[in-house]
Amino acid sequence: MKTEHDRYEEEEEVKAIKRRSRVFVPMVVLALIIAACGGDTDDTTTTAGEATTTAAEATTTVAAETTTSAGETTTSAAAAGEAVEITAGDSIAATFLPKCTNIAVFPQANSGAEEAAAELGSDPAEFVGPADCGDTTGQIEFMTNAVTQGVDAIMLSNNSGDQLDAPAQAAADAGIPVVTWDSPIPSATGESVFVAQVDFDETGQVMADMARNILGDDGGQFAILSATPDAANQNAWIAAMEEVLAGPDYANLELVETVYGNDVAEDSVTAALGLVDSHPDLELIMAPTTVGIVAAAQAMTQEGLCETIKVSGLGLPEEMAPYVESGCAPEFALWSFVDLGYLAYYVAYGIATGQITAEEGTAFVAGRMGEYEITADPTRDAGLRVLMGPFSVYNAENPGT
Amino acid sequence: MRDWAAKHRWESILIIVLAATIVVNVSLSPFYLGFGNFVNLFWLSIEKIIVVIVMTFVIINGEIDLSVASVMGFSAAVMATLYQGGELPFALAILIGIAVGAIAGLLQGLVITRFGLPSLVVTLAGLIGFRGAARVLLEDRSVGDFPEWFESIGQQTLVGPFPVALLLFFVGLALAWVILERSAFGRKVYVIGNSADVARFSGIEVDSVKLRLFVTSGAVAGLAGILFAARVGAVQGTLGETYELDIITMVLLGGVSIFGGSGSMLGVVLALFTVLNIRNGLGLANIDGITQTGVIGLLLIGSVLVPNLAQRYRLRRPRAEAVAHGPP
Repeated sequence: MKTEHDRYEEEEEVKAIKRRSRVFVPMVVLALIIAACGGDTDDTTTTAGEATTTAAEATTTVAAETTTSAGETTTSAAAAGEAVEITAGDSIAATFLPKCTNIAVFPQANSGAEEAAAELGSDPAEFVGPADCGDTTGQIEFMTNAVTQGVDAIMLSNNSGDQLDAPAQAAADAGIPVVTWDSPIPSATGESVFVAQVDFDETGQVMADMARNILGDDGGQFAILSATPDAANQNAWIAAMEEVLAGPDYANLELVETVYGNDVAEDSVTAALGLVDSHPDLELIMAPTTVGIVAAAQAMTQEGLCETIKVSGLGLPEEMAPYVESGCAPEFALWSFVDLGYLAYYVAYGIATGQITAEEGTAFVAGRMGEYEITADPTRDAGLRVLMGPFSVYNAENPGT
Repeated sequence: MRDWAAKHRWESILIIVLAATIVVNVSLSPFYLGFGNFVNLFWLSIEKIIVVIVMTFVIINGEIDLSVASVMGFSAAVMATLYQGGELPFALAILIGIAVGAIAGLLQGLVITRFGLPSLVVTLAGLIGFRGAARVLLEDRSVGDFPEWFESIGQQTLVGPFPVALLLFFVGLALAWVILERSAFGRKVYVIGNSADVARFSGIEVDSVKLRLFVTSGAVAGLAGILFAARVGAVQGTLGETYELDIITMVLLGGVSIFGGSGSMLGVVLALFTVLNIRNGLGLANIDGITQTGVIGLLLIGSVLVPNLAQRYRLRRPRAEAVAHGPP
């Protein structure tokens, strides 16, 4: 393997030398002109703000309220020493890069980040991203541009799998902390820490429980309508749900198919209708995406199928209200994206100003949201995590609007 | 100098637009000038601009290849499927991927030349068909975890600060320049583009030239798909979707006539530099992707409209003057 690689490199080297005579001379001239015009841009060292270590006036963490089956959320907080209160210091230049800009939850998250920036006396982060959630190369482009700009921190919701490894590593090499939120980098390459909305294993549990509540004790067939096939967060949730479904309590629930609507409304409607056609006994569509769940509810309503096929998953209360009322979507769940953006900004600001370091055991206080701790991420093989939580489950009694 | 500008009107306009773009970019962002950014600017669109080179030939020849982006996806999908199968050496899977691209081009080229069907229709079918084939192969999966050496082709620098793909682009560009403007084959491409009938009567092997162009177009698209996989590190059935529009836009913006027969490599290179610089400058100024596309669309319309209007104005004026100076 290694030798093959070396040999390959040697061969390429030889070829490159041959090419050089043809291309390299004009390229060097071009390069010199350009180098003469502009200086080096990547020497932005983040000056450490004063790390004020106030002892823990610890407001108890919100995360502890969640009742996880795995139960790892409650254990770590007790071990924490002193929690650093992240306070206002220097203004930082940051990029807030969502999966895409055209889905309601992401501007919500950005409004949380803006709130945090205002509290910390910093300029708001640049809210930029691809228009389409399936546009991975767009995200690579925005990441690369942010590194070129020499920003102090990048806050990223990854819209793919490992495709962002290289640009994230480039950011890390340039000394720029990459704080992921909503959707992490699965391998944690180049990532400082992941601000998780909820525990990913718990998401699987919550989805399985909602499916059981809706389908009743007799169970039945259900299908999953997800976002893009690559989305790191959705894939982790689906895997967690499948694990829960393997348990004896869920034996009557049969997951017949997982389809993808790419977080695009039309695609999601098509995918939902496709499920109806191919599975005559289908009783529930579970969509762990705010776009998919609305699209599915809309499609079932229009087709008059709400009596037989229910919709559930992760949705925004304001978008789901009519379907809760009509009974099409009896129950769904979500967390606050405003809080998620707020917390992500606090973490990024804390790291960029040197008030906290991205390592296991770091405890900090993030403004109105209270105390958190950085731990190893139990839902990934590598990487650090800050767990926000909790889940809110919405239904007719608690429509959330 | 003035002679050159008169003979190369379109190129002169593009040089002015490019210069203006660079000036605006420098004023918009302090990060624009810098060697790293210069490399990134190419690297982020490298697959498109590699295909632009061969698309220039196809359009000058009076044809069009709408299937390039789908062939990119299909070639990469074939490579990824073979890699996942795990039976073939990966290097062989790459070669097969490129060969599949060439075969895709050959099939379309044969249909176009043997049955005399318009390339617009045949390659439109190719666009749909090869994309479908790619999606059938990969379904909704995303294949990744390629060997490290493969991803380093796309992501790491080879000579100085240049990744392999960037070197390939510049080598290909130099080669294409020589072939199009300094070789007999290049002359034939222009002549056929002007009038295939005239070319045929002059004894030019029209079908053979066309076929060779479509095979090259397919092979280069296949290579671009594989370079895309190396850069991004994963292959999906949707890889490269809608890239054909960006590619054709750059060629047309370069002053290549959509009816064939005219255009220059210099014009296309200038257009390509302009589009990349606009995207990069707007990106560094934190302007979102939708606006970037809008600006490039406006540029395309403007660049077609302005010379056209100028020409009309010029045509009308002498007539008006003739009347004014005419006998009373």
